[in-house]
Amino acid sequence: MNRREFVRAGALVGVSALASASVVIKDRIITSDKDTTGKETARNLKIRAVEKASENEDILIRMQRDLARAMAKPVESRRWIMVIDQRKCVGCSACTIGCVAENKLPPGVVYRPVISEESGQYPNTKLVFTPRPCMQCSKPPCVPVCPVKATWKRPDGVVAIDYDACIGCRYCIAACPYGARTSDFGEYYSKGTAFGAGEAKENPLVGSSPYEEKPNFEYGKSWSRANHGSPMGNARKCHFCLHRLEAGQLPTCVTTCIGRATYFGDANDPDSLVVEMVAKNNVRALLPHKETEPNVFYI
Amino acid sequence: MKQKIRHFRIAAAEVVKGGKLYYAWVSFLLLMIAVGIYAYTVQARNGFIVTGIRDQVSWGFYISNFTFLVGVAAAAVLLVLPAYLYHFKPIKEIAFLGEMMAITAICMCIMFVTADLGHPERVWHMLPFIGRPNFPSSMLTWDVIVLNGYLIINAVIFFYVLYKIYAGEDYSSIFPLIILSIPWAISIHTVTAFLYNGLSARPFWNASILAPRFLASAFCSGPALMILVFQLVRKLTKTNIENAAILKLSELIAYTMGVNIFLLGCEVFKEMYTDNVHLAPLKYLYVGLHGHSNLTPWIWLATTLNVSSFFIFLSSRYMKGLTLVNIACGMTIIGVYIEKGFGLVIPGFTPDTLGEIYEYVPTRVEVMVALGIWAAGALIYTLLLKFTLPIYRGELRHNKSPD
Repeated sequence: MNRREFVRAGALVGVSALASASVVIKDRIITSDKDTTGKETARNLKIRAVEKASENEDILIRMQRDLARAMAKPVESRRWIMVIDQRKCVGCSACTIGCVAENKLPPGVVYRPVISEESGQYPNTKLVFTPRPCMQCSKPPCVPVCPVKATWKRPDGVVAIDYDACIGCRYCIAACPYGARTSDFGEYYSKGTAFGAGEAKENPLVGSSPYEEKPNFEYGKSWSRANHGSPMGNARKCHFCLHRLEAGQLPTCVTTCIGRATYFGDANDPDSLVVEMVAKNNVRALLPHKETEPNVFYI
Repeated sequence: MKQKIRHFRIAAAEVVKGGKLYYAWVSFLLLMIAVGIYAYTVQARNGFIVTGIRDQVSWGFYISNFTFLVGVAAAAVLLVLPAYLYHFKPIKEIAFLGEMMAITAICMCIMFVTADLGHPERVWHMLPFIGRPNFPSSMLTWDVIVLNGYLIINAVIFFYVLYKIYAGEDYSSIFPLIILSIPWAISIHTVTAFLYNGLSARPFWNASILAPRFLASAFCSGPALMILVFQLVRKLTKTNIENAAILKLSELIAYTMGVNIFLLGCEVFKEMYTDNVHLAPLKYLYVGLHGHSNLTPWIWLATTLNVSSFFIFLSSRYMKGLTLVNIACGMTIIGVYIEKGFGLVIPGFTPDTLGEIYEYVPTRVEVMVALGIWAAGALIYTLLLKFTLPIYRGELRHNKSPD
């Protein structure tokens, strides 16, 4: 190889390295203001929209219709809110489990726990259940603290996380007054257990079992925790099942609620059930003095 | 120029020269670093599940050490101030030792923060220009800027002054930067305090007294650490460090420790007297909460050490020897390390926002990583010292052949 060839080869290697580096960086950097808005975000979910209202129908059917109507609008015209009727909540935790199954959450990561509080003195005690999804605050304390703009408020009001940008500093977890954010610490349900009866003694599982590395579909993308991939090591939180909404399905916690205690819909739609609930009842928010302006309401 | 390069080589060669004790020390540090790296690979492979950190207590041992070390770095200003502004000769002679400590402490801070990330490979996301820093709203971004800025300022001052001393030239042109380093030192610890301070979700930190308390305790532990290190350096390297400098520092600790204890008292009064739900973390810390009291013996140890060292420092001017001062320095370092590390970070998370009490205990992995980082810091300081001493002692000078 002579000098000229050497320079040429060097330049080639340099340019290709630069090109690939820029591709990698461009791929990684998704700026928070990149949310697509406008017409292309409107979804035509006809099937549910045509269903006529009938007497004594399940409120899920009604909310399904409301959802289709909301999804037909561009994203910036929707504002998702949730109403939880604690009088109807029996504390079964079906919403918690449904959410874990839907989002394939590992141990320790919970988007919607049900907190039970016992108050009073025996025999005059009372038990109150408070399901606690993310409040999707209008003034979220978790957003400004993020050092890398990996979390932001979407036009439809949902506070989203960019799993590819999050560095896992857990500052947002310290900032949330509701404890609504959890970090994925890399735990597996099957770790340390025997996988398959025959292998029990000689081969207890060191890592995970295959089903735990199947991807979940949060934010409409495919995420696998295999090989320490995101969202492992990231902050994670409830996102009102955005990926389900896109497909015309209500959030899992709403559909799995045996007492129909959770209402979900578009606050900008005066005909929707959630607006009816918010207007009719004496709703309250959690920790109103924190001025976070939650979008989850309790009855 | 040639001579300068040769002299640089000579100074650099000093780093690998030394007696048995030196080699034993360096290999011990390298061994500890290896242990730390091993522990870190365990953490990187398995995630934070191998640490004691959980959602309830989402920052732990790493951030505790980080907070303490930012204080040590900021305390270098206590040498810079009398040295360059008041030209107090005994301290001016050893100001470089303090700058080296600042450089070392900041390097350790950066290591501790990086060890605390769930995705350390993305640490560059925080950097200006190439990353996507959330400036000015995130205090963590501010912290990255002020800490790295402080590192650069101190490194520039240190190496510039070193070079000028070597060349036998006047180094007063660096003076503006030295002036800048003084408020900057205050800023690094203030921003670190604001990091905690700005979270309304954590009432234990959400007190405006936090930044002053941080500075007060930093100005106790920093000089205390310096006094001990300086005497070690004096003993092992035959460097001239006057007792006057050490006594000046210990006098200073008497004041700062007094302020530190006073501010703590203010905090305790306000919380105790108002006695509302915000008292829970303080109760957890000092008397235990619902039977959970892991931290209680530690904080009482810290309080005892701090208060008694205060009285020793207060009377240090009447003392002949340095033995008692040294003991008091050790007490201060341990006291502040506990008070400002565990004693600050953990109660902020206990009980957590939902009222749950998770008692955080660091795991072996965390302790090993932290040991590795401390060893790395000690190594940085040792090597810097080895490189610097021949120049400061006047053995290496431009246009003068080394003996």
